[in-house]
Amino acid sequence: MTALSRTWGRLTLPGKIVFTLIPLLAVLTAGLIAFIIVLGGPIWDLILANLWFIRFLVAATIILVITIPIAFLNIYLEMKVIALMNLRVGPDRVGPWGSLLSVVHGLKVLIKEDFTPTGADSIVFTWAPVVTYGAAVMTLLVIPFAPGMAGQDFNIGLLYFFAVGGMGVVGLLMGGWSSFNKYSLLGGLRSAAQIISYEIPLTLSVVGLLILAGTMSLNQIVMQQSGWFTDWYVFRQPLGFVIFFIAATAEANRTPFDLTEADSEIVAGFATEYSGMRFGFFFFAEYVNVFIMSALTVVLFLGGWNAPFDIDALVNVLNGVVGAVIPSFHIATPFSIALDPGSLGIPLLFVIGLAPLIGTLVLAAPFYLVRSSMRWWVALIIGFVLFNVVAGGLTFAWAYVSFDWVAGLVWFMAKTFAFVFLFVWMRGTLPRVRIDQLMGFAWKWLLPAALLNLFVTAAAVVIVGS
Amino acid sequence: MSLVPGLGLVRGMALTLRRFFEPKATIRYPEVQADIPPKFRGRLQLLYDEYGTLKCETCFQCAQACPIECIDMGGMDTKGRFHVHWGAAETYGERREESALRRSGRTVPDPAYDHFEGVDVGPVDDILETFDHDPAHLLPILEATQAHYGYLPVGALKRISQVTGTWYAQIYGTASFYGHLRFEPPTVTAQATAISERRPDEAAFLASLGASLTGRPGGDA
Repeated sequence: MTALSRTWGRLTLPGKIVFTLIPLLAVLTAGLIAFIIVLGGPIWDLILANLWFIRFLVAATIILVITIPIAFLNIYLEMKVIALMNLRVGPDRVGPWGSLLSVVHGLKVLIKEDFTPTGADSIVFTWAPVVTYGAAVMTLLVIPFAPGMAGQDFNIGLLYFFAVGGMGVVGLLMGGWSSFNKYSLLGGLRSAAQIISYEIPLTLSVVGLLILAGTMSLNQIVMQQSGWFTDWYVFRQPLGFVIFFIAATAEANRTPFDLTEADSEIVAGFATEYSGMRFGFFFFAEYVNVFIMSALTVVLFLGGWNAPFDIDALVNVLNGVVGAVIPSFHIATPFSIALDPGSLGIPLLFVIGLAPLIGTLVLAAPFYLVRSSMRWWVALIIGFVLFNVVAGGLTFAWAYVSFDWVAGLVWFMAKTFAFVFLFVWMRGTLPRVRIDQLMGFAWKWLLPAALLNLFVTAAAVVIVGS
Repeated sequence: MSLVPGLGLVRGMALTLRRFFEPKATIRYPEVQADIPPKFRGRLQLLYDEYGTLKCETCFQCAQACPIECIDMGGMDTKGRFHVHWGAAETYGERREESALRRSGRTVPDPAYDHFEGVDVGPVDDILETFDHDPAHLLPILEATQAHYGYLPVGALKRISQVTGTWYAQIYGTASFYGHLRFEPPTVTAQATAISERRPDEAAFLASLGASLTGRPGGDA
């Protein structure tokens, strides 16, 4: 016993942690295996019987968790892009190109004091950020990321989106009211006034699109826009797109409509009394909202996951042109690359083990042979990097042509983050509007324009239809 | 306002996008050192030893070595005496007096101007004439100057420096090396007279005050 305690005393702190964790993990793993062996069958049956519910749970969990990296990425983009536009370098210390700084920000917010002011309605005060964040996350549930990749494919998806998205205002009002602070209350009311005012043109601007689409399911709307990029709704509803984009900027509290928390001018608005992670949740919600608004713009007007070109038509043209010269030339669509690595059996392990080695050597050899002054290890590093690029590119190309959802996700994310970049770009450029300009713009310009768009679309549909 | 609405927005966005790709102005300090001129020595300051006394011994080597004569060592205290010292501007006597006057709203006299230009430098020119403007005879020149003024006024030293082309620091060094040369009037009375000459309003007030009291200057009632 003394020997054991002496050995324990000699361990460093990491050693103590590791030696505690190892038996714990072993016991847990053994328990899990035993659990699966004994109760696995019934549980599996239960899962199969309630597959739709399990599927919903998994989707909801993934949606909830995925907001965190999305928010981190948005915060990082905001810091870096605005810095570059200001001729600064921006974050460059933590992680590659400072990309982990937003994670550090998140940790910092987590360890800050979470303060509730005296006299605040503590229940409402606590739940306000939850409601705001929850509204943001719940709207993400109906966004179709890729073919078959949507939390839920409602047939009233767009209605659900606006209904739940409007709940974010409730959170802001809750936060403003419960803080027991005049500034918070005024800030909350101002935010509510802004967001509710802009909700009207936002909703009206898509009604014309709904008349054309004939469905509220976001999945259906995206599928209607497949083909060439000229099939996107932005070319059939240009006015609607402009109104939607402006209103979405105001909805997401972005410059030039970020009066909700005009950080350089006023007290922090509804978030005056918030600190620590509650404040962090408000801001997480804001950055998630930026992503969601970009995603919705892309889904409604820019073809969602569809590529801007029709690959089948392109391949047909290619077949026609080249086929006229070489009669045997033909590319079949959709592409399928028959890869069956399992057929290799045990040698597959050798292939996996040796491919990086051989690839690195093969790619390093030309550099080493052509330039005599190059050190062998420099050539090896170049070879390794090249191998990674080539292998990653090949894997990506294979996944792109083999899986619909990979291609869809790539296009969707590319378009969405182009819009996120646009939002950040606008923040780096445009000055903030005044509150009366903000409200006047919504009621005097955007609302009539949205109504005009709606009437023109409806009339056009009637005329063309009759 | 432009003819096309929204053109300003587009131009602003184009500007920021151009900035996005331009080279950045930031210098990453620990990795990249700024390009400093080779003669740059940072901030000039006098150091104190562990007993809190100034390490500077007023040897004037720094003033002599300074290629553009930007180093000067001097200032005046509240009694109008010239002292060689160096510190923050507020620690100088005349700065304290000056700032007090400025706060009270009265006009601020320039004692430095009085001090340097107040002496009549005509005799100095005569003395220099006899010594043929030769700085090699600096000691006789200084002795003659002191014989005429009773001490070595700063204005006279400046005049010698200006006419002969010798560094003021060199003249000051020579003068401060010899014990029989002095920079102040030999007696306190002379010094007090010099001060009251420099402040005519005060002297007149004191004289009138004394006259109204007992007839003696300053009074003793």
